[in-house]
Amino acid sequence: MLGSLLLYAAVTRVAFRRQLAYRTANLAGLVTNAFFGLLRASLFIALFQASPQSTIGGYDLQAAATYTWVTQAMIMIVCLWGWWDIETTIRSGDVVTDLARPFSFLGYWLARDYGRAAYFALFRGVPGLIFGQLTFAGGLRWPSTPIDATMLLVSIVLAIAISFAWRFLLNVSAFWTTDARGLGAITGALVMFLGGFVVPLRFFPEWIQPLLLSLPFAGIIQVPSDIFVGRLTGAAALAALATQAMWAVCLLALGQVTVVFAVRRVSVQGG
Amino acid sequence: MELFTLYWKLVGAQVRGQLQYRVSFVLTCLGSALLNFVEFAALALLFTRVPRIAGWSLWEVALLYALAETSFAAAEFVASALDDFQIRIGEGTFDRVLTRPLGAFFQVLAEDLALRRLGRVAQGVFVLAMALVHLSLVWTPQKLAMLAIALVSGVAIFFSIFVLAAVFCFWTVEGKEATHIFSYGGVTLVEYPLDIYSDWVRRFATFVLPLGFVSYYPTLFLLDRPDPLGLPDWMRVLSPLAALALAGVAWYGWRIGVRHYQSTGS
Repeated sequence: MLGSLLLYAAVTRVAFRRQLAYRTANLAGLVTNAFFGLLRASLFIALFQASPQSTIGGYDLQAAATYTWVTQAMIMIVCLWGWWDIETTIRSGDVVTDLARPFSFLGYWLARDYGRAAYFALFRGVPGLIFGQLTFAGGLRWPSTPIDATMLLVSIVLAIAISFAWRFLLNVSAFWTTDARGLGAITGALVMFLGGFVVPLRFFPEWIQPLLLSLPFAGIIQVPSDIFVGRLTGAAALAALATQAMWAVCLLALGQVTVVFAVRRVSVQGG
Repeated sequence: MELFTLYWKLVGAQVRGQLQYRVSFVLTCLGSALLNFVEFAALALLFTRVPRIAGWSLWEVALLYALAETSFAAAEFVASALDDFQIRIGEGTFDRVLTRPLGAFFQVLAEDLALRRLGRVAQGVFVLAMALVHLSLVWTPQKLAMLAIALVSGVAIFFSIFVLAAVFCFWTVEGKEATHIFSYGGVTLVEYPLDIYSDWVRRFATFVLPLGFVSYYPTLFLLDRPDPLGLPDWMRVLSPLAALALAGVAWYGWRIGVRHYQSTGS
């Protein structure tokens, strides 16, 4: 048990270090994220200026602007633009070596994804938020208590698990279809919309919000962002974390079952 | 003319290849249309909270959005091969292009035509039609001409930006993502009224990189509205000039880039 934990920890560390090689690319990505952050914040500022109320969907201007900067920071942490690392190995056939290894296929990729996500949290997310802090008049709304900060951390960890499980399912669908990426293109748009990336889910009509907030997608962007800006605190935040945890467990379990069925289909040629 | 036939032959082969994966083609087409549809739906959601943003109604912004979106998508469609030009430079396949007895630019363009991007064009045209229906503009021949001119100029402006982003790769293939600020960032910028941004952004989008001429200025003309920021009225019809100027810069940049190019040597 301890041995395999150490193994996954090592996988995470290596995945983190692998990203360090792409420094220029990360810098370029950071500039792009920051630019879009500015555009999106400008739109929200204009929206609040036009609004007779000082809050919309429970956010004041500072919270709403912070929300856009947090979602910009989350993009790479949860791979919002898509992630096809496993699908690539299925296409090339390299997947068989990974399947033959004496540890869990899903666990291995999950550990890798945490390493990748940790890199992007530190070197893409944090600098982006600092940029937001410096450019938004009055600064961003940061978590104010140690409890909020802890819940935020837990929420991000769970968001990565949900997004990973979702991407994992899309990737391993390549065992059955050659159209996995096409499927990804469609569901990608849904994740962005239903996850609360494009606009907060709380800007949607009231009657549909409970449904949207209970879907797994809300756990990828909306929940951590809401905890960050203080829109979710106390018991409500705990309930949201529980929903996130429930979806993380369910989707990861579904992923594990899928692997079992996929392995039955794989036949290794030659070698 | 001969070049044109050749282009269709080369691109036709590409396109037939893509159509072999029919389901994939349909799905990615739908996916790219859906992505922009949700963007527009989000915009509409904002307008359920306020009647106007910076003085613009939903369908007025929709007109901006549609002009930007349609011309961007059409430019992106033709410029598919330029968009991942860093791969061609990085892998050294651009060398092969230079050894052939045809213009390098032409060959690069003919290497790819991403059909899936048509989904985005269709979505743009759809929103454009919706906006025009809802706005009930008073049509004059000038306005009809302006609509066509704006679209053509918009395609030229975004196409030139894609060329300039590719030219950037002659110097460095890393950091290509930063050029997305001007292409993908550019279209997002002008999907909304320029008057919501800070002064320097507006000046940049008018006098440096003429993105405002894709949607903002033509839309002011179509809506019979003076520039809320006080620029003279004749500025609103300068889209073709802006497009020509930027195309000139792009053409010149490409020539310098190719002359500067020294393979990757790997």
